[in-house]
Amino acid sequence: MSATLRRLGFLGTVVAVYLFLLAPIAIVVIAAFNAGEYLRFPPEGFSLRWFWKFFASEPFVRAFWFSLKLASFVTVLSTVLGGAAAFYVVRHAGRFRDLLRLFLVAPLQLPAILTGIALLIFFYSVGLGTRGIVGLLIGHTVVSIPYVFLMVGAVLLRFDRTLEEAARSLGASPWTTFRRITLPLIQGGVISGALFAFITSFDQFPISLLLVNVGNTTLPIQLFDYLRFSFDPTAAAASTVSVAMSVAVVWLIHRLVGLEQVTWGGPR
Amino acid sequence: MASIQLEGVTKRFGPVVAIHRLTLHVQEGELLTLLGPSGCGKTTTLRLVAGFLIPEEGRIHFGTLDVTHLPPEHRNVGIVFQNYALFPHMTVAQNVAFGLEVRGLPNAEVRSRVGEILERVQLRGLEHRYPHQLSGGQQQRVALARALVINPQVLLLDEPLANLDAKLREEMRFYIRHLQREFGITTLYVTHDQAEAMVLADRIALLRDGILQQVAPPEEIYRRPQSRWVADFVGLCNFLPGRVLGREDGFLLVDTPIGVVRCSGTADAGRVLVCVRPESLRPDAGGTNRIVGVVRERTFLGNLLDLQVACPGGVVLRVQLTPTQDARPGEPLHLEFRPQDAWVVPEDG
Amino acid sequence: MARAVELARPEPRRPVRSAPPAVLLLLPAGLFLVVFFLVPYVNMVRMSFLTKAQGAAFANVVTLENYLRIFGDTFYWRVIGRTFWLAGLTTVLTLVLGYPLAYAVARASGPRRPLLLMLLLAPLLVGAVVRSYGWMILLGRVGLINQVLRALGRGEAELMYNILGVLIGLVHVYLPFMVLAVAGALEQIPPDVELAARSLGASPWRTFWRVTWPLSLPGVFSGAMLVFVLALSAYVIPILLGGNNVLVMPMLIVQMLLDAFNWPFGSAMAMVLFGLACVVLWAYVKAMNRALRWIPR
Repeated sequence: MSATLRRLGFLGTVVAVYLFLLAPIAIVVIAAFNAGEYLRFPPEGFSLRWFWKFFASEPFVRAFWFSLKLASFVTVLSTVLGGAAAFYVVRHAGRFRDLLRLFLVAPLQLPAILTGIALLIFFYSVGLGTRGIVGLLIGHTVVSIPYVFLMVGAVLLRFDRTLEEAARSLGASPWTTFRRITLPLIQGGVISGALFAFITSFDQFPISLLLVNVGNTTLPIQLFDYLRFSFDPTAAAASTVSVAMSVAVVWLIHRLVGLEQVTWGGPR
Repeated sequence: MASIQLEGVTKRFGPVVAIHRLTLHVQEGELLTLLGPSGCGKTTTLRLVAGFLIPEEGRIHFGTLDVTHLPPEHRNVGIVFQNYALFPHMTVAQNVAFGLEVRGLPNAEVRSRVGEILERVQLRGLEHRYPHQLSGGQQQRVALARALVINPQVLLLDEPLANLDAKLREEMRFYIRHLQREFGITTLYVTHDQAEAMVLADRIALLRDGILQQVAPPEEIYRRPQSRWVADFVGLCNFLPGRVLGREDGFLLVDTPIGVVRCSGTADAGRVLVCVRPESLRPDAGGTNRIVGVVRERTFLGNLLDLQVACPGGVVLRVQLTPTQDARPGEPLHLEFRPQDAWVVPEDG
Repeated sequence: MARAVELARPEPRRPVRSAPPAVLLLLPAGLFLVVFFLVPYVNMVRMSFLTKAQGAAFANVVTLENYLRIFGDTFYWRVIGRTFWLAGLTTVLTLVLGYPLAYAVARASGPRRPLLLMLLLAPLLVGAVVRSYGWMILLGRVGLINQVLRALGRGEAELMYNILGVLIGLVHVYLPFMVLAVAGALEQIPPDVELAARSLGASPWRTFWRVTWPLSLPGVFSGAMLVFVLALSAYVIPILLGGNNVLVMPMLIVQMLLDAFNWPFGSAMAMVLFGLACVVLWAYVKAMNRALRWIPR
């Protein structure tokens, strides 16, 4: 087989698989803007009716705002917790570094559904139940902390500490040094971690599945319930809103730290 | 301006003793180089003086002030790091201004001082550039400016020229020396490059495995090393093992494989090494210590002729002549050296 | 020449005190995870040995009954088997489809790289529900693919509410994980190694098989482990794309917990599923270590 043919074959395969990856998402977005109720080929026409239906649907809108609110709290909590832990592990942990890393990343290694089950049972065992937002907040934070920890840890590992020493030698106190030198230079990693945490919470399914209650449901759960029984493209509009959010986040992360920093398994 | 005094300073990292009972005085306005191979503890010493490390034993003073346990930000030291440590997210002007801002100086004064120092290091016009937009030499000068603008009592430099190419390094050596003399700041300069130390230093302190070997002006270190290690570390040296026979006319008589040699030194008796530098061996002109050998190898270095000469007693001497004199492999060579040029060190140095 | 005026040394404003212990940075996250991660898991293990109570989710009576029920009933064995079988197949398919992608990403340079990575990661961040929905539109009876088939006169195909649909969904959702893992390993291979093989006379296929593939095995193995565990615990995809026709363990477990409200039994099922998974993975890791003996560690 000639070299060009081989190259074409390889390229074709890559393109095909990428299409496979992206097609369903594109389809959903197209369906959201489709005038007709079923997606036909060729599409029936452009329309925003499903978006209006989405915005008019009380359960969906409520779920959307709830997801947003929840994700915001989760982001703040996991960023503070995960970021501080990253500082400790990278700079102060010594012999325990690997062990601590393993522990702090563990929620990522175990299936979220298992964690959700464990938390559900736990909350009831201690009498907390799944009332209110607390259980969900805790559950989401547990699986978000590892992301923040990994991203902030990665940035810290690469950080040149002589910069901090220079600042200290010039008269800056440890706090001033952190504020004016360290923080500005690691903020890309911190923000990326925070964004990851946000999206993890916003799109979270298994944990939410087990910990939502009647009063509070998240957008993915609401969407799921809807899809069990109907097929109408309001769900597509809801999904498109989700997709738009995710795309924005990925793009933001790339602008801030560059996607090359996302290594699976965390810093070596 | 203050002197730096280390007294009995010991620093350990776990079981490893990096610095052992170091006592060193850097005089006011002096430039002292800390010289030694990698791992000898010179950077550790610098970091102790800077305040990034606390010694287990001993004290450190700047003048009369005990700074041993004082954090770096209160010591008023200017530091130039090996990688310059310029703040990448700040412009040149902001980098230089940082130390002044932290001290709470009013903006107008900060601006004027920054402008003044940048003028002094010939970086006027580059105030708004970022570090990554500067050349290595320019970054160096920013680092110097940043350290000097705060008027430190003490200036510390950690191998600042290591990342520059050879030509630039030479230029910057003289530049740093000139700047230091202008400002008159007590300076501690760390390097592993002995040529650099020779050019820059008022005095050189040689460190080996955390222990001070000798502290003296460059010429004295070169001509009168206190140990074999020092003699070997600074420049090239031939070593003749021997036994002291006695003194005569102020010179030592030492019995060596090539014969009895007249040399200088402070030893009285026992086994010693006679150090003779390659350039001290000259063509025989009827002087004191005369040797006849056979040229084994000849290397033409441009300004020098580097020879290996086999001599009696199984001794091979390294000789450096100016090329106006010549010698070919296999030919005999008559050499001599003056007693003043041969220095005796203890055998076990 | 004038020397700059002596500046005041910044005096310590208050007595210099030592900084608070660094471990305070770790404690919040550490305690949080111990209480809300470690403890719940231990508690779940405990729960699997208890019994269902009348009117409540559990009673404090220790028993092995839950486990005996699971191991004794072929129904559960079939569901477990189906779950493992689907996970395994998913793993293999994601490897086959993902490897070319991983190669492209690893060897891409310049501006193409972030683009490829972005396209790869974006689906990950969209969420399984949305992606499953997309497949529902594509695969359903009135879905796009069937429309095309009908237009071509080929009748319709049952692509959803069966194992095929579930498989497609699983492969789709977990493909990026495999690609990232393999790409990570491929990046570590210096491109000169392949050139060296070619210069020694190996054909491109030979080079791949004898040089590139073995060197990428660490990534393949870790990717496979990751995808296997993820596919094993999948819930959304089997439900949405399999309906009631494809029953996997996670579905059963959730049913048991949320519908039947029998927590001890649900916990036991979870323990069995993941216990077996651990056994499988342990054997897998052993084999993997033997195959990767040449890696310096």
